[in-house]
Amino acid sequence: ENSPAPLPERAIYGFALFLGSWFGFFLYFIWAYIPETWLFSLGLTYWPQKYWAVALPVYLLVAVGIGYILLFGINMMSTAPLNSTHTITDNYAKKQQQKKFQEEAIPALRDIPISEVNRMFFLPEK
Amino acid sequence: MAEERRFRSACGAPIALRRRQHSASCRELAVRGPRLQLRSLSAATSAVWLAAYGLFALSENSMVLSAAIFITLIGLIIYLHFVKIDQESLLVIGSLGIQVTSSYASGKESTTFIEMGQVKDVVINEAIHMQKVIYYLCILLQDPEDPQGVSEVVPLFQSSKPRLDCLIEVYKSCQEILEQRKTAPQSS
Repeated sequence: ENSPAPLPERAIYGFALFLGSWFGFFLYFIWAYIPETWLFSLGLTYWPQKYWAVALPVYLLVAVGIGYILLFGINMMSTAPLNSTHTITDNYAKKQQQKKFQEEAIPALRDIPISEVNRMFFLPEK
Repeated sequence: MAEERRFRSACGAPIALRRRQHSASCRELAVRGPRLQLRSLSAATSAVWLAAYGLFALSENSMVLSAAIFITLIGLIIYLHFVKIDQESLLVIGSLGIQVTSSYASGKESTTFIEMGQVKDVVINEAIHMQKVIYYLCILLQDPEDPQGVSEVVPLFQSSKPRLDCLIEVYKSCQEILEQRKTAPQSS
């Protein structure tokens, strides 16, 4: 049921969003550029201050820039330190069950303990 | 008998590994980093003093110059005593334990001893450290409840950070001694 194929409903939503975003842009344009006196003479008096027409885009761009740095920082903070056991094992590896060894079959997938891996890599077989 | 070999650290600085075998079940492995260079010391001092002279020329306050001298001296002493590690050594005694020593440039030595009953294994682990993946040697401590579990990881050679070739040498030496405790008869 959850296919990404184009459907009539999706086409309608897409067109409605397209029209809505153009309408929103023209509204923003009118609010930012047309002088207040002209708008008052038309009877439209309840608008936010024009200060926000410049301030909100600036806030948004600064937030995007800070977001890059923040994401970088959050990644660095979530990395496990060198002295934590999370670099060696985790809950799934501790609770794994050993499957029985069958002749002539590929051994089952499992998390090999680090001591064994080290011995295989770094101690040459005699 | 002692032998010394040159290697590189993870950042490219030259380090030296010295291996000494005291007896069949006792080995000492020491990694020595580069000493504090005179040129980097002069460069740092000149930079601080030039900045202070610039501030003095702007503000006409002679306290800036004395403050700069003070800061340079105190900073150098703190660096030599708390930051600059000259040599890190590992002493593995088969039946007793493992001793890890760090010697600072000011002569201070800080030592940690881990008894052999707590040591599960000495392994080379790889982990992410500051946008790099590095290999580092670490001691795995045994979990008292769970014979297969690891309770703590003690990383070694943190300031000299040797590369994999040096770590393999140290690993092989340690494993030779750790294997003996499996074949040796268990004492009650």
